[in-house]
Amino acid sequence: MKSISRRGFLRTGIAGAGMIVASPAIVKAATSFQENNIIYRTLGKTGIKVPVISFGVMRSDNSSLCKAAYDKGIRLFDTANGYQGGNNELMLGNFFKDYQRDSFFIATKVKPGTGNDGKPTDQTSPEKFLETFNTSLSRLKMDYVDILYIHDISNPELLEYKPLVNAVKKLKKDGKIKYMGFSTHKNEPVVISAAADMDTWDVILTTYNYKLAYLNEINAAIKKAGSAGIGIVAMKTLAGGGWLDRERTKPMNTTAALKWVLSNPDVATVIPGMTSFDQLELNAQLLADITLNEKEKSDLLADNSVPGLFCSGCRECIPLCPNNLPIPELMRAYMYAYGYSMPSMARNLLGDLGTSADPCSNCNECTVKCTRDFSVKEKIADISRLVNVPSDFLA
Amino acid sequence: MKNKIFPALLFALLSVSAFAQDFTFPDLEGFKKSTKYPVYLPENLWDFINGAADTYLALGFVDLHVAEYKKGKEIIKLEIYRHSDHTMAFGIYASERSPSYRFLNLGSQGYIVDGSINFFTGNYYIKIRTYSSKPKTLKSEESLASRVAGMLTGETQMPALLSQFPDEGKKVNEETYINESVLGHQFLNKAFKAIYENGSESFSIFLMSLKSSEEALNTVKTYLASAKIEISQSDNGRYVFTDGYNGTIFLSWKEEKIVIISGLAKDQADLADRYTSDILK
Repeated sequence: MKSISRRGFLRTGIAGAGMIVASPAIVKAATSFQENNIIYRTLGKTGIKVPVISFGVMRSDNSSLCKAAYDKGIRLFDTANGYQGGNNELMLGNFFKDYQRDSFFIATKVKPGTGNDGKPTDQTSPEKFLETFNTSLSRLKMDYVDILYIHDISNPELLEYKPLVNAVKKLKKDGKIKYMGFSTHKNEPVVISAAADMDTWDVILTTYNYKLAYLNEINAAIKKAGSAGIGIVAMKTLAGGGWLDRERTKPMNTTAALKWVLSNPDVATVIPGMTSFDQLELNAQLLADITLNEKEKSDLLADNSVPGLFCSGCRECIPLCPNNLPIPELMRAYMYAYGYSMPSMARNLLGDLGTSADPCSNCNECTVKCTRDFSVKEKIADISRLVNVPSDFLA
Repeated sequence: MKNKIFPALLFALLSVSAFAQDFTFPDLEGFKKSTKYPVYLPENLWDFINGAADTYLALGFVDLHVAEYKKGKEIIKLEIYRHSDHTMAFGIYASERSPSYRFLNLGSQGYIVDGSINFFTGNYYIKIRTYSSKPKTLKSEESLASRVAGMLTGETQMPALLSQFPDEGKKVNEETYINESVLGHQFLNKAFKAIYENGSESFSIFLMSLKSSEEALNTVKTYLASAKIEISQSDNGRYVFTDGYNGTIFLSWKEEKIVIISGLAKDQADLADRYTSDILK
């Protein structure tokens, strides 16, 4: 997958958003309608009309927050079999048992066994998948869920794995699920594009935010899926939980980030994770207004110019280093030292890697291009000096 | 820049305590060990556990080491999550446990459910699982759990503050730790929670131990201010009020400790008082 630099994003991302919102009337007519001060969009061919803000419940254990979200007009609640060891589904089940079933939508996810490459293996058991789904249904205290996602598809081969797909289709036929979909947060453009060529999937839940390095590709895939009638729900919309730095000293303009996502007319709704009433109040404002203003656009541009501090583990650097340095591991050592203040952990790791004090000494110019645009050579130089620190200092 | 960073790093090295926390995965007789997984960090934990990662990240996740043990088609997977401290490790462990599980005396505490053995010890949360139902494999899984528990260093008791919850009516093995946004309020953080039953009613007690009585008082003032209640300076006090989102709240504090009771009615002040007095004695 081709990555684009931040500058490339600035040309395509914000400009793209700008071009979209330049014609809000067209966007609104095509994909949205407003009722009782809430903007709804249709979730593809499912026909479900969802408010543009939904609730990613995964971290919440507070049913009062669910009630407040419902009272605000939020209707789609997203959970998964594996969230909080099942306690997340239990909480939702206890909360919704007193609500009319057709007054809300529940999406849950079940993860099948796969290989590390995301392909089906002999661990991809439809029986196990169905057993796990039935556990979810029992926890939720419901006869059906509105959307069942196959959790975490990163390889299109799994989309065509008939034993699993047929098992999910049968759930739909039996009325235990209304719509079938999958979630993806790796290799998304390829997976989404493949799904758009099939007549199987009703909904796709995908990572989508303004910081993605492959916006061109994912935008094209989402457009293709949208044209094929697949409903798109966006997750990981805040690209880091609402902060631009690990120390949480630089808050992100989360409203702008969510509006950016929703400026794509093929995205029906977003599922930001919320754990506080303040977050809910802020996000609920978007139920009535999703138009990016000029300040929000410039905040997004400014946020995106902040270089990353820590490695994302994408491993795209590995083939670029002529000395085959273990760059992701060196960046991990950097993280231990500078991010966690655990210098002895960093030093131990450098020792395991056999790192010298100046591993880049053979190169005059660094050929590694980091997808986060930070100076790999500089970080390696900073951290590798640790090998010269006597271990007694770390005792 | 180079001349500034190295001395700063050296200073940081001298001023922080050592963490000799590296480890080697134990061997398991009859199984071939594979450590082909990368070490997962906050930036890429999602790649391994998807959206569940957010809960781990909120509880001080540091890194994850993964190993697989294979014998023919039998596979046992070992995941060792390192968190920033013992309380955070308890927090993530407790967030995923259920009182219905079979509990074990493993590390600080553990349980077995559906082919999985989960436990926490020191700053670590360990998850071991197999899809096999073969008795020999399950036995090997238990053996692996014991070895890992023995290999990891750190605190093996439950977090100390848990012992301050009164036993009467407390639902066992349902205590949790909430690092952020207790009761959905961003100004309330780092609380242990226990659930109680009183007849047919259920209520929750949250216990926070802040760094100082001043910090506790400021937190209390902020909470009461959200309900439009102003108080004068005091190292201790008790209030009952309506939290706009969470209903009736009994709020008490003494020195650095805060107790919040949620789920009782206003006319159950005696009950709230009894539990509060027991904790803040």
